[in-house]
Amino acid sequence: MLAEQRTVQAALTVPAVNPNRRRALTPWFFLLPGIVVLLAVGIYPVIYALWASFHKVDLAMLAAGTPFNGGQNYILAFFNSLFTGAVERSLVFLAISMPLELGIGVLLALYLHGTLFPKLLGVVRVILVIPMAMTPVVVGLIGTLVFNNQFGLVNYIIGVAGVPPVDWLGNSLMAFVATLALQIWQWTPFVTLILVASLSTVPPEIEEATVLETDSWLKRLQYVQLPYLLPGITAALIFQTAWIVKLFDMVYTLTGGGPGVSTELVSIYIERNAFRAFDIGTAAAQSVILLILTIMLSNLYIRYFYREAEA
Amino acid sequence: MNARAVAAVPVVVIGLLIIIVALFPVYWMMAASVKTDNQIFAIPPVWVFQPTFEHYRHVLADLGMASALLHSLGVGLATTALAIVLGVPAGYAIGRFRFKWRRDVWFWFISNYMMIPVILIIPYFLIARTLHLINSPVMLVLAYQTFAVPLVVWLTADQFSSVPKALDEAAMIDGAGEATIFFRIMVPLAVPGIAVAAILSMIFSWNELLYAMILTPSDETRTAPVTALSFLGGYAIPWGDLMAAGSLIVLPVIVFAVLVSRYLVRGLTLGAVK
Amino acid sequence: MIGIHFGKPPRLAAAAVAGVLALSLSATVSQPSSAAGWNLKDAAAPYKGTTINVVVLDRPSYTAEKALIPEFEKETGITVKTTTYPYESALKAETLNFVSNSNQYDGILADLIWTGTFANSKWVVPLTTFTGNPKLADPALDLNDFFPVWLDAFKWDGTLYGLPWDSYSGLLYYNKCMLQKAGFTSPPTTWDQLLTKYAPKLTNKSTGVYAYALQSLRGETQTADSFSRFLWDFGGSWYDPKTYVPQLASAGAVKGMEFRAKLAPYMPPGIVSDDHAQVVQLMAQGKVAMITEWSSFYTTLNDPATSKIRECLAVGNEPAGPAAADPAFGGFAYMVSAQSPQAKQEATYLFVQWLTSKAVAPELINKGAVVARKGADTAPAMMSKYPYLKPMVAQWGHSNPDWRPRIPQYPQMSEVVANYGSQIQQGSLGIQPGLQKINDEIKAILTQGGYLK
Repeated sequence: MLAEQRTVQAALTVPAVNPNRRRALTPWFFLLPGIVVLLAVGIYPVIYALWASFHKVDLAMLAAGTPFNGGQNYILAFFNSLFTGAVERSLVFLAISMPLELGIGVLLALYLHGTLFPKLLGVVRVILVIPMAMTPVVVGLIGTLVFNNQFGLVNYIIGVAGVPPVDWLGNSLMAFVATLALQIWQWTPFVTLILVASLSTVPPEIEEATVLETDSWLKRLQYVQLPYLLPGITAALIFQTAWIVKLFDMVYTLTGGGPGVSTELVSIYIERNAFRAFDIGTAAAQSVILLILTIMLSNLYIRYFYREAEA
Repeated sequence: MNARAVAAVPVVVIGLLIIIVALFPVYWMMAASVKTDNQIFAIPPVWVFQPTFEHYRHVLADLGMASALLHSLGVGLATTALAIVLGVPAGYAIGRFRFKWRRDVWFWFISNYMMIPVILIIPYFLIARTLHLINSPVMLVLAYQTFAVPLVVWLTADQFSSVPKALDEAAMIDGAGEATIFFRIMVPLAVPGIAVAAILSMIFSWNELLYAMILTPSDETRTAPVTALSFLGGYAIPWGDLMAAGSLIVLPVIVFAVLVSRYLVRGLTLGAVK
Repeated sequence: MIGIHFGKPPRLAAAAVAGVLALSLSATVSQPSSAAGWNLKDAAAPYKGTTINVVVLDRPSYTAEKALIPEFEKETGITVKTTTYPYESALKAETLNFVSNSNQYDGILADLIWTGTFANSKWVVPLTTFTGNPKLADPALDLNDFFPVWLDAFKWDGTLYGLPWDSYSGLLYYNKCMLQKAGFTSPPTTWDQLLTKYAPKLTNKSTGVYAYALQSLRGETQTADSFSRFLWDFGGSWYDPKTYVPQLASAGAVKGMEFRAKLAPYMPPGIVSDDHAQVVQLMAQGKVAMITEWSSFYTTLNDPATSKIRECLAVGNEPAGPAAADPAFGGFAYMVSAQSPQAKQEATYLFVQWLTSKAVAPELINKGAVVARKGADTAPAMMSKYPYLKPMVAQWGHSNPDWRPRIPQYPQMSEVVANYGSQIQQGSLGIQPGLQKINDEIKAILTQGGYLK
């Protein structure tokens, strides 16, 4: 499905591969090592999580046993306003950060794909890796200094421009904005790099042809490059969705989920549930619900974006 | 000539803008790492000052950062190497072969990346305990495969699927076996994707905190982020030390990225291979 | 008994005396010593070569501990390894260790609020196992030399589980220069004074200087430092000690929260997201005149590398409320893991006993530790050297070990209070409805835990 769509030229000019010549088992030889290792490492934890989600597992009261309690953990999760609130918050976070990261990411990828000043582009390409390379815990801590009301750099800078100081971390809305800002700063390079790799899959002959046809980079983007970018965009969407669901370290050190619950994203809530309230059963059920949600979202991305490629 | 010069200016300006935005917080962190704690908090900010390397000395010599960095390096390189060995062939299979479960396998790989680590800590811990692998980097490298391999598989599948079918044909006509096709033709062409995947895999395992804190907690085996986090007594934060630790943690990844980044450009030669 | 006649004793009697003396002398030498003669080296002899693992935090007391460990190792031949955790992760790591029976740690660091969790699940050993063993128990242990409130803090069901170690009290740190400039020669002694007399004169919004700062970040900081501080002093409490009926929506609790809200204009904006570090910084940079923080912060505020105000630094008792003077109370003990093999348990006990002993205390204090030993803390030389000792010791005389409940359900309860407490403080939740929510959820937790019917 993927290969045929994009190498249109190849499909038209070269006879199709005789399927019988390639043994049906070939792909499995290449797949096996990866599958075996991931299964070996990953299957038990998932089974444990599933098991815990159907039992009452309280770490501090294990002496009382871990009785089976059916789907109770799941049902209660849907009525738990702290949990549903956290999920909502994470989805809003995603809905705002993702378009921004994609928009800026596409522009940056195009920029890096240019032909002028290859040395400068090379340097920029490497420098873009650096925000991603910063340890999230450290990023959160730098955030507490930089966004601090009294001695934060951000308030100092906007103060120089005449803007009154903003209560970044003590105000519900601004804390959310500060968290978004750090996330976008750190992870737009991730999207950019994926798209850079995607852009490199556009056959140069096609690119050269379109450069001759039109001067507008926007038209080039829309009609020629976009189909090649879609798989990368989908990958970025899926990875970032999973990342935001898992996002913990940076937010934890920046705001701890506060003020109040304004930046309590879903992983922060589940961690509290699991290791402060010690309620592993509920936390497991919530994690499974989120896994299903992430899978559903990913399927949506694939259906929506990959289908565009076929149009 | 004039048009070219005009086109050149925005390229340079944008480039500089990107560099400033990307690097400013990092610069700020490194500047803070050589200031005294008092100077770090000073408003207006102190731009010119006498640097002190006491934080670096303290962090490396007294607080175990040196060995922590080495552990992180070992775990990071091992994770990336293993993930590439496991993931590139898988990406190849998914990207170039049509077989019955292809779509589901493709999706299964990424689903490994989606599970929230918080809840998985307990079973991983129990596995490690049973296998006597607590405080062993081996367990960490294995656990990290669950997010490194999906990355590699996805990024390389994309690259592999864009290689023209004509190349397989030509090679098979010449009598090349599957292995030869894979190693001599496909892998070199997928290098940009592999490079990106390697960098990302290295970064993720380098900065990973949750599993590292639980699976290799002892002062002798811990990785760099865990050591940095331990500076947070929760009470008094040693800002200078923390910034020094943060700067030390970032540097090796930057070096790795620089070394690998040359391969990011290879894709431009794709069309030349016929 | 041989009667002693003055004058020349008969030769037979002399020989008999000598004989008896010789017998009793040899008896003393050959019997294992009970009171006289216990020493660490001998007691540790059977454990020579054992390695024990002890949990530590990255705080002054533990730095002092690590500095002294070689002394213990040399004396006993027992190797002591330490694992450092940030406070927020310590409970998680220790619980995982217990739940999975992985025996990573023998010396368990226990915050007093974890006492119920550890003791109830029988993860730690009652100390009488060791203190009742003459081979292990140091006669100089002198439990009564610990401040009584600290022994109470680590008791569960009447049994002592840990020896008090890293011990704090909430103190009022104030900038005496700023106070003097505003016309005050002494600090406030009641919250009311602080609010009505001191706060208005010490706050100047145009220069960004405030009278007071209260660390309130969501988490244990909000529950302990921000919420509980204004609970007891105003007549509220967590629950009735006999019936366990929660009192968090009581008139006293409401009064306390209302008072806290009245302090807001005199505190820096955004205080609701400030943790210990930020508040101490505000003080250290001269932006705030008074803070009420743990005694362990004295070092930071007194260090020229981290503080601009050290010449102006002064320490006093926490202000009292209209209903009570219940200062913030918190600290740690070392407990022995019940899952460790017996030999390691005993070796661990010897270490903990030594670390918290009267003899070692002064050396620890001089290295920056804060301990709960009466003798060492009240020694005049110490008190004049460390100004935080006087108010701290005075407050321990009337502190409440259950200032925060020490039951196994506490971590859950703390989460509830932290969540709603910070929303109340931020203003997104009203005081009465907020407290009612807290009260209802705590009630549910206590009912589930079997405390309430």
